[in-house]
Amino acid sequence: MAISLRDLSVDYTLPQGTAHALRGVSLDIRKGQMLGLVGESGSGKSTVAFALMGLLANNARVTSGTATIEGRSFDLTKRNATADLRGRGMAMIFQDPMLSLNPVFTIGTQLCEVLRRRAPGSDRKTRVAMAQDALAKVKLSNPQRRMNQYPHELSGGMRQRVVIAMALLSEPALLIADEPTTALDVTVEAQIMREIIGLRDRIGCAVLLITHSLGLVTEYCDAISVLYAGEKLESGTVKEVQRQPGHPYTRMLFDCEVPIDCERHADASENRFTVIAGELPDPRQRPPGCIFNGRCDVSFEDCAVIDPGDYPIGNHAGHSARCLRLQTP
Amino acid sequence: MSRSQRTAAFIAGRLASVVLTIAGATLLLFLMVRLVPGDFTSVMLGPRATPELRAQITHDMGLDRSMLEQLWLFTSRAATGDFGEDVVSHRPILDIVLDVIPNTLALAFSALALALVVGIPIGVIAALRPGSWLDNGLALLSISLITTPTLVVSVILFLIFAIGLHWLPVAGAGDPGDLVDRLRHLILPSVALALGWVGYISRLVRAALLDTLAELHVRTLRAYGVSEYRIVGLYALKLALVPVVSILGIGLGDLIGSSVVVEIIFARPGIGSLIFNSIAQRNFPVVQACVVFIVAFYIVANLVVDMINALLDPRIAAGRG
Repeated sequence: MAISLRDLSVDYTLPQGTAHALRGVSLDIRKGQMLGLVGESGSGKSTVAFALMGLLANNARVTSGTATIEGRSFDLTKRNATADLRGRGMAMIFQDPMLSLNPVFTIGTQLCEVLRRRAPGSDRKTRVAMAQDALAKVKLSNPQRRMNQYPHELSGGMRQRVVIAMALLSEPALLIADEPTTALDVTVEAQIMREIIGLRDRIGCAVLLITHSLGLVTEYCDAISVLYAGEKLESGTVKEVQRQPGHPYTRMLFDCEVPIDCERHADASENRFTVIAGELPDPRQRPPGCIFNGRCDVSFEDCAVIDPGDYPIGNHAGHSARCLRLQTP
Repeated sequence: MSRSQRTAAFIAGRLASVVLTIAGATLLLFLMVRLVPGDFTSVMLGPRATPELRAQITHDMGLDRSMLEQLWLFTSRAATGDFGEDVVSHRPILDIVLDVIPNTLALAFSALALALVVGIPIGVIAALRPGSWLDNGLALLSISLITTPTLVVSVILFLIFAIGLHWLPVAGAGDPGDLVDRLRHLILPSVALALGWVGYISRLVRAALLDTLAELHVRTLRAYGVSEYRIVGLYALKLALVPVVSILGIGLGDLIGSSVVVEIIFARPGIGSLIFNSIAQRNFPVVQACVVFIVAFYIVANLVVDMINALLDPRIAAGRG
């Protein structure tokens, strides 16, 4: 395992009380693989990313959690535990490329800034050459000219390529992509995902893709973890989870996907969106039993009382779900 | 258009508006001075002046002509730099104004430089740890400086450092040929003028920096391990200075206004004390010339401010700022 995250719990202090954003989340990502972390808004998926980076908001507190990155262990409860890894061991691509670059510095300056840390001691000329090379690698047209341009002169997709070039320059062991295509045109989505895959293959890093789009996960990821209200409900390879979702929530998520091809999916011929009824539970007070109990369509009495564990599914190592129905007596 | 062409077009547009603004302000000023009730000659010459002398002065000042004629004479002459001759000293008014302007500019710019050099670091330090005791202490200091009138600050500085300790000269602008002497004479007035601005600039910088530090591009730099000092002192500060510089442009008028007080207290020759004395004498042609220069200075300063901002933020030159 290149990257492992164990038992991550994060609280937010809010005027209304303490919200438990994450409760005991564990993830594993192999080198050269992409893990898709899916969940709806408010499930805590971005909190996982920022806790790993050590960039949580001031009102957030990591109450437990250890990250192991390339053999080194980091106690995430300490603020700035992973500060040393930023820009070297870890890199991040953000949700809104229109806002993630400084508007008053050129693309070149911002790329070279990353290299000050990654390649200390290199002279300016070397850094400029490296930055320009990275822009060419992420297929930004006319890289020499882009170096002297400002972010407002570039489109959203181009700006996201610049951030990917930053990630490329920092040669991380773990790349975190937080909804990298959400703010972009659908036509640009595939191109950006291809560049992220290209970066992974070039460096051989592990990628954590945070998204609400199951389509993106099934198309590009090797493994999937499903997050719900701050808890991980299921994880496994994309193939296994897609074939046999272990948790009712995962199954419902797949049902919500709108199939493009109506003939292959008879259910969609009525052109109806499937929705999961109900709302996320109050993050300040976790109900007893299964966290998904309130919205589950197959729950039984025990679900409201007994906390489910992570039960393995089939013979496939690594595929497990947190549902009492999978418990073998 | 290329970026440099856009910048050139931006500057040309601004220059054209400068000419129009100076012309408009001059016209307004001319009419306002003429609206002031009372006879210039009786104030200047006193009640015992002979009618012949009054008529002579009235003629010399061009006051016997029609308003339109006066306006035309004033503007056409002012456009060529001729503001007429002072009836009191018989010197060209332009020379009188040009004599004192360097003193005022030295005072204003040294005060501004001092305020920036001290105010920006205070603002940056306060923004590094918002809510800390250091931030609160600096806030108290800044607000005290802003709320203490220049008049009070001037008198206190004057009493302590000039009268009490004899460290610095009491009055005047110093021996014109002696640079060190002139600088020694400049210290107290420029500190007096700068102190309020130190507080003002530090508050502005702090607020603008905190706004900027909350923006998402700052998170990007943090994610890539850029040190907090480089983020605050370089990447965020450059962006935060844009609103600060804009406000400085507007505030320069206030700086010139306060310099009147400072120049009078420290008996410094300057455009402020010249205006003050000329108004006391009802020597309106001199007042008029002084104010034309102040308006021109203010407009040019704001042009410079806009150019600095266009350099700081490329989006302004591109018309998207």
